[in-house]
Parts: sequence; structure tokens; C-alpha cells
Amino acid sequence: MTQQEAIRLGAEASAEMRPIEEEAALCYQCGTCSGACPVAAAGGMDYTPRAIMRMIQAGMEQEVLSSQTIWTCASCYACAVRCPRDIEITDVMTQLRNIALEKGYKARKGKVYNQGFMGIVRQHGRMWEPRLVVQYNLLTNPLNFLGLIPIALKMIRKGKLRFLPDHPKGRSEIRGIFDGLEGGGE
Amino acid sequence: MKYAYYPGCSQESTAEEYNHSLQAVARRLEGIDLVEMQDWNCCGATPAAAVNPALPHALAARNLAIAEEMGMEMVTPCAACYKNIRKASHVLNDDPALLARINATLDGHQLGAAPRVRHPLDVVVNQVGVDNVPVERPLHGFKVASYYGCLITRPEGGFDDPEYPQSMDRLMEALGAEAVEWPYKTKCCGGAIYMTTEAISMTLSADVLAHAKAAGANAVAVGCPFCQLLLDLYQGKLEAIRGTSFDMPIFFFSQLMGLAMGLDRKELGLEKLVRSPFELLAQTIDSPDGAPEKPKRKRAAKLKKWGEA
Repeated sequence: MTQQEAIRLGAEASAEMRPIEEEAALCYQCGTCSGACPVAAAGGMDYTPRAIMRMIQAGMEQEVLSSQTIWTCASCYACAVRCPRDIEITDVMTQLRNIALEKGYKARKGKVYNQGFMGIVRQHGRMWEPRLVVQYNLLTNPLNFLGLIPIALKMIRKGKLRFLPDHPKGRSEIRGIFDGLEGGGE
Repeated sequence: MKYAYYPGCSQESTAEEYNHSLQAVARRLEGIDLVEMQDWNCCGATPAAAVNPALPHALAARNLAIAEEMGMEMVTPCAACYKNIRKASHVLNDDPALLARINATLDGHQLGAAPRVRHPLDVVVNQVGVDNVPVERPLHGFKVASYYGCLITRPEGGFDDPEYPQSMDRLMEALGAEAVEWPYKTKCCGGAIYMTTEAISMTLSADVLAHAKAAGANAVAVGCPFCQLLLDLYQGKLEAIRGTSFDMPIFFFSQLMGLAMGLDRKELGLEKLVRSPFELLAQTIDSPDGAPEKPKRKRAAKLKKWGEA
């Protein structure tokens, strides 16, 4: 019996989770990642990064993929540069977001934001922030618009709000990248 | 040296002043020639990899291919673009199978060997050299907290230390400013999550400003459009949340370079900063005596108080 099997609580890992399990198997639970994590310190995670690593080791796939942590990770890499086992914790969090989206886990805000962002890039070739903000808030919480008014006014006054998207010439090439990669885009 | 210049989306909208000031500085510096890449595309920021693990590398491959065609190293001022494209350049150069798969999706460009990707701070400090920046109006009286944030130095393997970077501090000292020692220079502002988890990013950003203030800084220098956006555009909100006044102008490091180099201020976009920097300028480099007056006044006021007590 391998160590991995000894601590597994859940079922056999799904194919998508297997590479992540291999990475997390290196973790010896020192907690350096959780100490380095600014979001955990600010109370923005339901499980600390260390706990997520342990849960992956234990095969708690559903709990991991439905956690808030994978969506509130700010991708700052503070954990990854300090990990004594050189685990790419930040990249693991990103991969978990990807798997959660693929498997249809409930993550409305994360889904609307990430897929909405890339939908805009697919269409325009570049980011167009006003559309992302409008689209995101309409689909998640339209009442947010009230809070956004002062910020939007400041941006307009400072000429930081672009009313029309930028359009690089190679838009069809950029769309081709999305279409060419399996399941890319939306 | 000529560099393929990739501005990134934010530098065409919320951080135009970063783009313009950097180009103005580069025109004036010996040894940097920024040639804007034609027809570049978005790097995909943090969402790309969540949508498809190969997508950030593929979006980067098209940009890297354009730079490769130009035969130049790539320079990008946005910390998020820098991280994404730098990372992709290593991944693609090490993984021929992935490169082939991605090249098959590219129409019009093909990536051979990915060129080196650099942040302009790296080029200024390590290529030009801080002592070769022509300083005409030293930034005396500026107490600058150099804020690197996350992605200028992380993931590691870049041009500066991920825990205790020094390059921007050295640049600020060369410009005549005082580089403030503070513990939050590489802490995250929460830029990647501010739309989905605003409350947390507000906490992180407020902590950054509180520490800069506590360390005695009167300005913050950044090299990332998201750090600047959160600390500057949201500063009023952060002050309301903390019930305190930060009153801290947030400059792009290129704007401070331009000020010290005596460039035409219109090129530096100082008026685009939401938290006005003009009071600080009036008290320091624009004060009639030329000398920093602010510390003197503060001291006099304090002494008087003590005398009265």
C-alpha cells in the first residue's frame, strides 16, 4: 500500500485530478503556504492552501473542487516561492479552477468572470474592460452598479474609461487560437 | 538595443500614462529603443488558464512569434502580461510537443524559439544601469515606497529577488529620492480578484497603503497597472473603509523617472493620477527654494508643540 492509498478518504482520483494529486503528494504539511497567503490572512478562504493540499492527498475531490479557496486565490505566487517542496501551489489552484469549470461545479461568479473575460478576448483580440464590468455585474449582482458609479465617474473624468474596444487586425487569427485548442473559449 | 514593445491592454485604457511615460523615458535614454509590436493580442491575464490550461501559452505564442519575427527581445510593462508571457516562453521552449500543437492553431505566425521577455524595470536597472539615467531634477524630498507587488518578481527565476527585491529602490535612489524601507513591497494588492472578491482585495490594498504610510513614505512607485488602479482609483474607498487618510500619490516608476529627467510633464500623464501628485511636487521639486520644505515645517511644528507643553 502506498502512502497515497493509506490516507485516501475519497474514491479513486478522476483522470483530471491525477497530475494534481502527484504534485500534492510532495506536500509534508509544514503550512508555509498558508502563512504566506495574503488572502487566507484576510479571511477570504474557506480552506487554507495547506488544507487544500491535504484534501487533495486524501482524495477529497468534491470538497476541493467546490471550495471557495480555488476561486479567491489571488494568483500572487507568495506560496509557491516559499514552498520548501517546490510545489507549484498557485498553478495547482489555477488547474483546480479549470477542472471545476470543466466538471460543472457550482461557481457562478468564477464562471461568469473567467469565461466572460476570455469571451471578450476571443471576440476582440484584446481586453475591453467596460464590457467585462457591465457583463459581469449584470449576470451576478446588478445592484453593484450603484456602487460602481463613483468609480466610473472618476475614470471618465481622468479619461481612463475606453468607450470603444481596440481592434487588432489579426482578430480572426486570435479566434483561430481559441477554436484550435480543444474546448477553448466558451 | 531595440526591443519589441508589447504594451498590453491596460496600457491602452486605465494605465495610458504608464505607456506614454515609459515611451517618453525610453526615447530619452541611451540604449533603449522600444519598437511597438504590430497587431499584438491580449495575454489572457489570470482567466485564460482557468478556461483552458494551454490557452495562456497559445495567446503568448502569437505575441512571442511577432517579437521573434522582429528579431528582438520583448519588453512589456504590465506585470501580469510579463508573468504570463515570460512563463509561456520557458514552457514553450522546453516542450516541443506543446509548441507544435499550439503552432498548429496559429495562422499567419509561427513560433520557433521564444525570445527573452523582460520587464522595463529590468531593462532600466540591468541594461541601461541606474547611474546612466540622466537626472536633471533630482527628486529631493520624495520618500518613495517601491511597490513591486506579485508578478514583477514572482514566480521566481526573474531579474530580482522574489522576497526582497531591490531594483526599484536602487532606481529611486539614483533619481534623488529616498527609498523607504518597508515590509509590504512584495505583498499582493488583490488585483486579480478585485472584481469577484472585492472585499478581500480592498483589505489587501488598504494594508499596502497603511504600511507605506507607516514607513513614512509620501509616494508609492509601481510597475503594474493593477497595483496602480487599486491603490490610486480606489484610494478614496480604501480610506473610507479604514477611516483614515492615506493621501498617497501612486506613480508609475516611469513617471518618476520622467520627472527626474526633466521631461515635458505633458508626456508623463501626471494629471491622469486620481490622487493628485501636484501638492507633493509643489512641496518638493517645484518649491521655489528647490529644497524639500516639508520635513522642516513638520519639525518646527513639533518643536513648538513640545515647547508649549
